[in-house]
Amino acid sequence: MWHNVIAVIRREYLQRVRSKWFIAATVAGPLLMAAVTVLPAWLAIQGERDEFRLAIVDGTGVLSERLVPRLENGGFEVEEVRWHADVVTELRERANGGDLGGFIMVDELTLETGEAIYYSMDVPSGLRRVTVQTSITRTALEYQLEQRGVDAEGLMGGGALEIEVISEAGSDITEVGFGLAYIGSFFLYMTILLYAVAVMRATLEEKTSRIVEVIISAMRPWELMLGKIVGVCAVSLTQMAIWISAAAALIAGGIPMIIAARPELTNLSSIGEIVPGISLVILFLGFFLFGFLMYSGLYAAVGAMCNTDEEAQQAQFPMIMLLIVPILMVMPVIQEPNTPMAVWLSLFPLFSPILMWARVAGGGVPSWQVLLSFILMALMVWVIAWIAGRIYKVGILMSGKRPTLPELWRWVKEA
Amino acid sequence: MSEDSPALRLKGVTKRFGEHTAVDSFDFEVPRGVICGLLGPNGSGKTTSIRMIMGILGPDEGSVSLFGQDPDVVRRAKVGYLPEERGVYKKMKCLELITFLGEIRGLRRGEARRRGGDWLDRMGLTDWAEKKVEDLSKGMQQKIQFIGTVIHEPELLILDEPFSGLDPINQDVLEEIVREYHARGTTIVFSTHLMDQAERLCERVCLISKSRKVLDGDLKEIKAAERRGIVAVEFEGPDTWIQGPEIDRIERKEGSLHLILKDGQDHQHILNRAVASGARILRFDLIEPRLHEIFVRHAGEGLVGGAGMADGPRSASADGLTHFGTA
Repeated sequence: MWHNVIAVIRREYLQRVRSKWFIAATVAGPLLMAAVTVLPAWLAIQGERDEFRLAIVDGTGVLSERLVPRLENGGFEVEEVRWHADVVTELRERANGGDLGGFIMVDELTLETGEAIYYSMDVPSGLRRVTVQTSITRTALEYQLEQRGVDAEGLMGGGALEIEVISEAGSDITEVGFGLAYIGSFFLYMTILLYAVAVMRATLEEKTSRIVEVIISAMRPWELMLGKIVGVCAVSLTQMAIWISAAAALIAGGIPMIIAARPELTNLSSIGEIVPGISLVILFLGFFLFGFLMYSGLYAAVGAMCNTDEEAQQAQFPMIMLLIVPILMVMPVIQEPNTPMAVWLSLFPLFSPILMWARVAGGGVPSWQVLLSFILMALMVWVIAWIAGRIYKVGILMSGKRPTLPELWRWVKEA
Repeated sequence: MSEDSPALRLKGVTKRFGEHTAVDSFDFEVPRGVICGLLGPNGSGKTTSIRMIMGILGPDEGSVSLFGQDPDVVRRAKVGYLPEERGVYKKMKCLELITFLGEIRGLRRGEARRRGGDWLDRMGLTDWAEKKVEDLSKGMQQKIQFIGTVIHEPELLILDEPFSGLDPINQDVLEEIVREYHARGTTIVFSTHLMDQAERLCERVCLISKSRKVLDGDLKEIKAAERRGIVAVEFEGPDTWIQGPEIDRIERKEGSLHLILKDGQDHQHILNRAVASGARILRFDLIEPRLHEIFVRHAGEGLVGGAGMADGPRSASADGLTHFGTA
């Protein structure tokens, strides 16, 4: 009996993992991720190296003392040049000779209005422009405040706003948690759908190619269905493991590299905060696994009851709805994760993978609710296996028109 | 189980699809070690019967047993099944597919692989072992599927239209293999609408038409029992004796005359009359009927009126008729 299931699992797994599609998606995924994050940053670093050598001409005599270290913190290499009548011409020549990326003129007006001139060899990137501009205005502001005897440090540091949540339903979600919840929900939706549909297609293919007759004469339908689902599941977990390790490698290796190369991007270090903890990764995989088991059972039944791709497209509509509804609810649930509606919706097993994840990733969900959702999902897996197994058993060998709902119910009762 | 229980036994098996009765109280037994043909035009219920034997369809009435046992218990290891509609995993490599089919029939993986390799050698497909099934011609795919059917050395082979779609050379290859398995004691049941093939291969036949069995038994006995009604004669001398009340009509065939007798008439009267007439008799031969004729005799109506009996979109009788006798 298990011999059969294992044979089916092995076949399913090896066929899929060896397919060009799998290799492409698995390898291309992380590469693409790397390409859109690391590569542009790296290229920018290479391209802008020269432009980071700046000269400062301080007409005030008081700004450069603070401005130079500030710009150096921002990644610039700064040289102070004394003001004289031909300074602009001189620096222009040096810049054209490749000696400088540009130079900045600050004077009395700068002290009053924050205006300054930045002579640059190229059009500076937005980031560079902002870094230079804020450095200058902050320095000017600091100087002015100091003249009036005000403590500049705290104010200039941007102050601090402490948040105390006083409503019960309120969310104390951080931006990072929000991103994790939101992106994670969509990722769960897509992967669950993708792999559940893979089970449906495989079932449909076996049915239409008629090889199912040979297989069913050698094993019971549930053995085939189980093998199929577990096989596809193993494929999906393999792919995720590869993706997650690639992402981990990227974060661990790539980001320090960028920061080292480009210190003005230090705010990237907060990415460290969005790197999900290991427990969150495990929870994520748990939600995926249970979501996949529930939906793949349903999709296997759909594949078994249809005869053509078109029929299957139509018949999977209810399942799509079951996945779309929680996706539509993700936003409100993230914003107010502890309203009764959010709690109940996220405890409904077919919605749990997406909605409970959205709440959990945002933080502040009692662990008993998470545990309960897993128990309910496990029960649902069992119920679906029972019903879908029966539909599968009858449907997989049935040709002719798609069954109506009453017919389906008869299959379930009689099988 | 007892050793003498038949390899296959159907008792009163009936299958209905809605209003249409596809198989009607079918009793059928195949003793062990026999090649048995399940004959009938398309749409007569052959494939439905086979599907019930294989547990793909459940009978509405009646029972199926294999080797005197519950078919679900015995089927996996003891039966090899080649369905009418040939299904393969197109994306798999040939040897992998064969190995998988062996595995689900209970073979260990290594053993299935080894046997699969041997079979591919034998079929002249060694070079294709690592090629995808979809890259093979249809005939080659059929060979692969046949290997998958016999890889676990089944005691009972159920082949649904095994010869259809094969070119003559491959038909011979398959026929040879079927004979080889028969020689080893394997019981073989195959369905066909090609009467010539059945006549060459079968020891037993079962004729079905319009969902009902019309004839069943040992092919030699059937032919002996059906051997009446046509006498081929060659002679010199007077021919007056060939006219008589027993004779319905006379046909000229290949240098001899075929005297077709009226129902229930005895050829002995004609022979007596011939001897009395003084004619020199060179040949007086009771023609053994061809399977085709036997079938037409018993199920003529079924053949002619068979349209609409198809259990699928295929039209039944026209195709059936053209194959009978001519193939």
